[in-house]
Amino acid sequence: MRKLTALLLAVLMMAGLLPALTQAETVKLTMGSWRSDDAEKVQALLDKYKELTGVEIAFQPTVSDQYNATLRLQLDNGTGPDLYYSRSYAVGQELFDAGFSMDCTDIPGVKENFPESALDAWQTPDGKVFAVPFAAVSQVIYYNKTLFAENGLEVPTTFEELIAVSKAFKEKGIEPFANGIASNWDILECVYLGMLPNYVGGADQRALYESGEKKMNDEAFLKSLQDFAELAQYLPEGFESLTNSDGPAMLGLGRSAMFIDGSWTCGTFADYGVEWGAIAFPAPEGAAPAMCFHPDMGITGNNATKYPEEVKAFLTWLATPEGAQTTSTYLPQGFFPMIDAPITFADPAVTEILALNDGKVLDARFVWAKLLNMYTPMVEQLNALTKGETTPEAVAEVFAAEQAKIVGQ
Amino acid sequence: MQTTVQRKTSSKNRLNPGGRYWIWYILPALLMYCLFMAYPMLDSVRLSLYEGTTGARTFVGFANYVRLFTDPEVSARFWGAFRNTWVFFAYHMLVQNVLGMLFAVVLTNRTMKGRQFYQTVVFIPCTIAVMVTGYLFKLILNPQFAGPTLRSVGLGFLVKPWLGSEKTALNVISLVSVWQWVGIPTMMFVAGLQGISEDLLEAADIAGANSWQTFWYIKYPLLLPVVGMIAILTFVSNFNAFDIIYAMATPDGAPNYSTDLIGSLFYRYGVAGKHPIGIPEPGVGAAISTAVFFMLLAGVVPTLRATQGKE
Repeated sequence: MRKLTALLLAVLMMAGLLPALTQAETVKLTMGSWRSDDAEKVQALLDKYKELTGVEIAFQPTVSDQYNATLRLQLDNGTGPDLYYSRSYAVGQELFDAGFSMDCTDIPGVKENFPESALDAWQTPDGKVFAVPFAAVSQVIYYNKTLFAENGLEVPTTFEELIAVSKAFKEKGIEPFANGIASNWDILECVYLGMLPNYVGGADQRALYESGEKKMNDEAFLKSLQDFAELAQYLPEGFESLTNSDGPAMLGLGRSAMFIDGSWTCGTFADYGVEWGAIAFPAPEGAAPAMCFHPDMGITGNNATKYPEEVKAFLTWLATPEGAQTTSTYLPQGFFPMIDAPITFADPAVTEILALNDGKVLDARFVWAKLLNMYTPMVEQLNALTKGETTPEAVAEVFAAEQAKIVGQ
Repeated sequence: MQTTVQRKTSSKNRLNPGGRYWIWYILPALLMYCLFMAYPMLDSVRLSLYEGTTGARTFVGFANYVRLFTDPEVSARFWGAFRNTWVFFAYHMLVQNVLGMLFAVVLTNRTMKGRQFYQTVVFIPCTIAVMVTGYLFKLILNPQFAGPTLRSVGLGFLVKPWLGSEKTALNVISLVSVWQWVGIPTMMFVAGLQGISEDLLEAADIAGANSWQTFWYIKYPLLLPVVGMIAILTFVSNFNAFDIIYAMATPDGAPNYSTDLIGSLFYRYGVAGKHPIGIPEPGVGAAISTAVFFMLLAGVVPTLRATQGKE
């Protein structure tokens, strides 16, 4: 009996060693991300990459709002993925400064194939690039084409027209917008920061606010807050408890005419069979139209990876026009590659949204680059403003005070 | 004769030199407890004296506690969460446990029919996952989605943004949690009531006591140990509550921190960090949990003393 047990144990141990022996042949990388919604599509992209090069990459996303903390924990403990999505600006730079993200400055194609505005999001002040730009998103207003046609209303091109259209819809008993404040992030990221470039201008103007030369209670900001307050009057009934995920449902089911959100949602309307379109946030009469085109995702390598060559090869591929074209085929709808080369999309609706950028001043979300500490105060103030608990003037003063704290004046 | 006397003493052998064989039975459980509960807890207290994350920790002494109690923003959040958790606990003690007692008394009544059925119905919500309950109620309470249905049955006055208003959000979430967990005290009180000897109740009946007097003078005093135990369990689980807040509101305790509990405060500081930066401060998180541990101890020990061991 004892001999049998010993034999059994020996066989089991050998069986345990076998996978380790076979694994030594194929290189398997892991990729971390916050886009658990895109798991299927990105895995298809990575399978395509495997076809081209033989390197297998497994996509391992985490839930979006836990990504930063989970990734940090993994990197701290040495169990981080070989490749991972890098957030833009300060949040992503923090991981580079801590020594986790690879230096991508010398990856062929990174400095040459991307425009300055894209690289800026993943560059340190002294010019080191810490991630390869992967995708940008834009802030748009989705609208229900059928509802507009049925009620004989034209798609608005200025802010004043937007208000007029909202008023008309409200009188007919249709909610103009599907936005709420319960998710605590979309009122800032999608609505306010989406409309802000129309009032403040592009990156060069933003730099003046970041240095403290311009204050956040000046005319431009005050006008933006006043217009926001006017828009907030047309938020739906019970907006205090509407979340970001209720928006597509409301638009899709015909309960609301418009929904202010980001380009990443454009794939969800297919489930409802609704005829939808997208417009850029209209600027006030006479102002130069601008668009919030936000560099959102970069991909970078883990400095502690066991396969630096394969990781660098993947990053190089991403920075080539061919690599970018392939990724755009597999990228979920609404994410745009930032490479400086012509990209065609299979879905005409997606091409339409990207085309909204033409002829407009483009900028990233205002607070992302250097004013991220303004995020929470801004959300709190905007929430209060939508509920009518404060005035645009008071909010502008709070903004200026918080800005002074950060800029140090 | 002598062999019988010898067998009464424990047999001494190599594994059992002092005769204390029971140690070997306890050892596995003791090891598990020390490794997975006691050590992490003590290490957490140690971590509260440090700043920074793995690999970059610096010793800062009590700076985290000082920050927790004196920094205007952090202490405002802490005391706000503390206050909200007490409100949450009050709902559970005054609504859940009282209802549990009421249900138990009704269910153990001699003339009650269909007891098994009602017991099952009361207990089923406890078996539903908290996240599922949270999301379902979030949909029911959503004015845009439940609105048309409610209006069509004439309940239009109920269509309000319950989870979006600072005044009602915490109360509503507490009531949902009460709905979910009322089965547990019910079950424990039923067990406790069934342990009361029939003779006592018969004697009370003969003495002419009505049902209220029977309850207040006989059932309740004998149930006091169970009440104490349930109070302690409720207290501890409320101070750990996080999943219902995550499901029905955001981990920020939206709207405007009114639904922020100690559990979600700890999550923000110790685990996930604040959106959008998302980098946690484990030192402050550990300070929060240590501070709450001592507060809980101060509440649990007197309650245990007051209610247990009364014959």
